[in-house]
Amino acid sequence: MAKNLHTDNAPDISTVKPHFLFAAIGFFVLGVLLVFSTPYFFSVYYDHHLLAVTHTAVLGWLMMLIFGSLYQLIPVIFDTALYSEKLAKFTFWLTAFSISFLVYTFWMGDYTTLLPYAATAMYLSLFFFVFNIMMSYKNARIKNFKSLFILAAVFWLLLTETEGLLMVFNFKYNFYSASHLYHLHGHAIMGLVGFFLMMIFGVGTTLIPMFLISHHLNEKLLKKSFYLLNIGLAGLMLSKYFFSNQLLIILFWLMIIAGIIYYFRYIYDSYKHRMKKILDVGMKYTMLSLVFLSLPVVLSLIMIFMPQLGLQTYAETIILLFGMSMIFGFFTTIALGQTYKTLPFIIWLEKYQKLVGKYHTPLPRELYSEKIAGIQFYLYMSFLILTFFAIILAQEWLMQLSSILFLLVTGLYNYNVWKMFFHDSEKYINKRDKEILNN
Amino acid sequence: MGKKDYKEIRKVENDIYELLKSVMDPEIELDIINLGLVYNILYDGDKDVRIEMTLSTPSCPLGDAITDNVKNTIKKKYPDFNVDVDVVFDPPWDASMISEEGKKKLGM
Repeated sequence: MAKNLHTDNAPDISTVKPHFLFAAIGFFVLGVLLVFSTPYFFSVYYDHHLLAVTHTAVLGWLMMLIFGSLYQLIPVIFDTALYSEKLAKFTFWLTAFSISFLVYTFWMGDYTTLLPYAATAMYLSLFFFVFNIMMSYKNARIKNFKSLFILAAVFWLLLTETEGLLMVFNFKYNFYSASHLYHLHGHAIMGLVGFFLMMIFGVGTTLIPMFLISHHLNEKLLKKSFYLLNIGLAGLMLSKYFFSNQLLIILFWLMIIAGIIYYFRYIYDSYKHRMKKILDVGMKYTMLSLVFLSLPVVLSLIMIFMPQLGLQTYAETIILLFGMSMIFGFFTTIALGQTYKTLPFIIWLEKYQKLVGKYHTPLPRELYSEKIAGIQFYLYMSFLILTFFAIILAQEWLMQLSSILFLLVTGLYNYNVWKMFFHDSEKYINKRDKEILNN
Repeated sequence: MGKKDYKEIRKVENDIYELLKSVMDPEIELDIINLGLVYNILYDGDKDVRIEMTLSTPSCPLGDAITDNVKNTIKKKYPDFNVDVDVVFDPPWDASMISEEGKKKLGM
């Protein structure tokens, strides 16, 4: 009997699959919204249409993908089964409804009538997700810095959502003394750095060395990265909300940046010592996303030293560039890459696990079109370059062009995702058998 | 069917060794023999075969798929055999276990 295999704890495919499908649809909707939002990129970054775009990107696309991937990876990272698959399925439907509701209310700019209901539903769905992950961690047989990154990420998610919910109710009851924008920054930083960055770092520490096939990495780098990121972020939030001390804010930002640099070093080691020398399209996206992460790092340095650099007049553009480079430059690039790594395996396991050895089966990467994935890669890189020029040069037509490129990217991505979902194993095997007979 | 002698046992073990060259690690895209994942093939001369093998990483999510492939591949040629796949992580697998042919295929 095979022993100690993590697949023993793997969740049912029906728990994981809907998240990837919703994320693919969310990605396409994001493309459509982006096309219709280009004029708003040149107003203010907190315009309600841009808030709808941002929440479609971070919740409808990225978070749904993270939910699905994490449910699949809990057995690998924690060495235990997900606490409750029933709760995960219920959470999916509630989250899908809440995201759609929330994005609709943002797009309509309805902050007082519908938004409190949408935000409460969103809060509840995220709370159930966090509860499921925390209970799974309680049963974890592996408790190391990789799993701690995940735990810290869901903790920050809860804080992000609490701040989001309070902001929504503040629209109605006006209990905050500071401006909405001040709280929006806290909400965005906790979400982007605390949840998304921490979660992607946590999952990445398992997946990237596994896909590159590199062993004996220096775990001390992860430990340093974890402490610097969390102490830096906690300090930053405390300084922002309670002390308002500029010097402390700079110090804690620098700690976060140092944490990112230590993580870079860990991944660079993994890349340098990799056994799989040729990178497939999924790993190309992944490695490039980490290079792209240097852009928000540089922009954040510009942001904290803005007064000294005399760049206050460009504050709006710099903040917009920071947000775009985080969401599209880093998060979306790595999400696209890791979907091409994880989803084919999930589908392949569903369709072929029982058939391997009995019939000729395809490789997981053969479930999607590599040609389409390649075209999508170059289109996406073009979109990124054009978008940054469009924002810097404040050229609406360039932004319109880049958003059309992005819509094409979402279409090609959806083509490959649906191709995988509709893959017919019986048809493939019959076709292969005929080919073998003919040869 | 009675127990086979040493020569016949070795012949079956060698045959299984060759058969396992068709079992791929779907991620690395190299067969498990050239990858050095198979530590031991033990045939008792009757109907029991035990494969002692490892995975490229203990957290490999494809573990079951690979061990199922090993069982199915052997049973396709030897339907009466009881195939036991024992996954071990001691010694842990590393790159030095990849064959020269495997290194060439991986571009190492």
